[in-house]
Amino acid sequence: MSAIGSGQAAPTAAMFSLPNGAVALWCGMAVALCAGVLVAAQFGAVSVQPGDWWAPWNALHHWLNVDSSQAASRPSGSAHVLWHIRIPRIVFALGIGAALGLTGALTQGLFRNPLADPGLLGVTSGAACAAALSIVVLASLQLPLPMQWRPYLLPLSAFTGALLVCFVLDRVSRWLVPGSIAGLLLTGVALNAVAASVIGLCTYLATDEQLRSLSFWTLGSLAGATWPLVEALLVLTAWAGWRTSLLARQLNALALGEAAAAHVGIHVNRLRTRVTVWVAFVCGFAVAWCGMIGFVGLIAPHLARTWVGPDQRRLLPWSAFIGACLLLLADTIARTLVIPAEVPVGIFTALLGGPFFLVMLRAMVRQRGLQT
Amino acid sequence: MSTVVQMPLRTDYAERLPPDCLMSECGTQQSVEPLVESSVESSVEPSVEASLELRTDALVNLNAATLRLPGHCFGPFSLRLQAGERVAILGPSGAGKSTLLKLMSAEYAAHSGEVFFEGQVLRAWQAADLARRRAVLPQSHAVAFDLPVSLVVSLGRVARLHDPDQALIVTKALQLAQAGHLAARRFDTLSGGEQARVQLARIFAQLWEEEGALLLVDEPLASLDPGLQFDLMDAMQTFSQARGHALVAVLHDINQALSSFDRLWLINQGRMQADIAPDADAVPTLEALYGIGLRTVLSTESHPGDQGGRRRIAVVPYRRARSAVVATSSA
Repeated sequence: MSAIGSGQAAPTAAMFSLPNGAVALWCGMAVALCAGVLVAAQFGAVSVQPGDWWAPWNALHHWLNVDSSQAASRPSGSAHVLWHIRIPRIVFALGIGAALGLTGALTQGLFRNPLADPGLLGVTSGAACAAALSIVVLASLQLPLPMQWRPYLLPLSAFTGALLVCFVLDRVSRWLVPGSIAGLLLTGVALNAVAASVIGLCTYLATDEQLRSLSFWTLGSLAGATWPLVEALLVLTAWAGWRTSLLARQLNALALGEAAAAHVGIHVNRLRTRVTVWVAFVCGFAVAWCGMIGFVGLIAPHLARTWVGPDQRRLLPWSAFIGACLLLLADTIARTLVIPAEVPVGIFTALLGGPFFLVMLRAMVRQRGLQT
Repeated sequence: MSTVVQMPLRTDYAERLPPDCLMSECGTQQSVEPLVESSVESSVEPSVEASLELRTDALVNLNAATLRLPGHCFGPFSLRLQAGERVAILGPSGAGKSTLLKLMSAEYAAHSGEVFFEGQVLRAWQAADLARRRAVLPQSHAVAFDLPVSLVVSLGRVARLHDPDQALIVTKALQLAQAGHLAARRFDTLSGGEQARVQLARIFAQLWEEEGALLLVDEPLASLDPGLQFDLMDAMQTFSQARGHALVAVLHDINQALSSFDRLWLINQGRMQADIAPDADAVPTLEALYGIGLRTVLSTESHPGDQGGRRRIAVVPYRRARSAVVATSSA
């Protein structure tokens, strides 16, 4: 643990101090996260009794001893709220937050810029735009799709929209002002405007029922959380996190610049395509299931970089973790601010994130100008 | 080192080249013509078989390689670089020195003609394999995200999947580049000269345990003070000499080129002007290249690896009369 000792032992100690520190840090954060989940579960429109936490164990117990009376085992209403509404929603917030934090870190690594964010660059609005199109246009076309394919239509179209925006962004910003953050952000502004207008067109054409689900996209909300959705989300996020963590070393090399990354042996085009597809994939399902939630992908990697440094191998997991915590916090506040109503969480993150972005922009321009 | 004997010591291509091709179409019939083989004007002109043999054992072989960029034509370049050789690329600003280096580093693909590296077409190399055989120091040193110095240097070895000695090699490479004290710093907080040293250390780390590989460096000493320029030039020389690496450097300082390289490649207006030894005979060609006057001074410095009897020279540049400058540059 400590580096005190003979000269021989010192390098070994130094070598192991980092993993130990990291493990301690992770443990601390995990404990903090559990405490956060408990606190978040306590707050809400329905107050939760301490006994409600044991409802699943009681149910399990009664299921094992089928002879006991049914009346005693029936869970209370507040226990149902806790285990079937609130806990899924909390886990959902954590999963979506982790996904958004991950895409933010990947996008920043890809564009080699700390101001890149899927929301600002129009990737999420591209996904929402495609989702809106699929709600309004595909519904009116009456496609003969099998019933079991319907749930996949929305995530798939959101993924396609996000992918399209990613590639357009890459091409256009390169063609416009190569390697400049101004060109990248302005291309994002243009793409955002196009996506917003298409969403507006969809709103104009939509029926009342479609309109209600459309407003869900543009505002961003975690209210749709159910256990099956949560399970799917956790599996996909973990899969994306694992696959992208294998690219972390190469993303580090990309920080040297594309030419230098190629010189040290990185297949730059292949790496760029892979990262782009992963960003579009994660953005696609995040947007399909909870609409546009902005700025988590900007703030989480920034905080992670401040705390654990810019090494992508540590930045990617930490960014996902901080994103999860941020979104849980934001969603808990959004849920409880005006009980019994709730504010869409997307509004909340945008309110917090806009000023944060301006502060970051100012800091960066002060440091080295707008060109890099 | 053996090439100096094989290659004619002084080959002036200039009068054989077609007129300047800037802003015009690169004639394909010109670029196909093998310039080196046909224009050698000495008794040791190699036969076709001999040149093929040379092609396979040369480290880098440019075979009438041309490149077209918007508004500019480069080449045809027909050049051979043997293992362990030290070559300086000289020429006025914008002449195409960096472009030639990028052709050799596979950053640009030749538009016509072919570039061979270790007997294999450069395009056919896998990026990861190539990274273990040649390292490139680019002109710009920008690194995103304020990475720690030790991470920047270790990125030179990112192509190696299993690399147990990485930490040790990174430390040694930093020390060799006179940057050992910077290991714990963040790259963005370094001065320009310190950044150059760290990038040089990254190149060293990339080829640390290889032998007979290739270093391509683009103005490595541009932002350093004179003392450090000597130190780092020595570091580059000892590094490549100990491992038998060839060294190709784009330079602006004529004296650095004259004092520590085996050959000079002179580039002007996208063309190879001459491929000469860095001795007293090179001075008139250099004067014509830059349109300046050069006063020759005999240097007392001799370099490790020099062949016996070669006298190193140094030059002092001075401004010629304006009419003379105009006459040379328009000729």
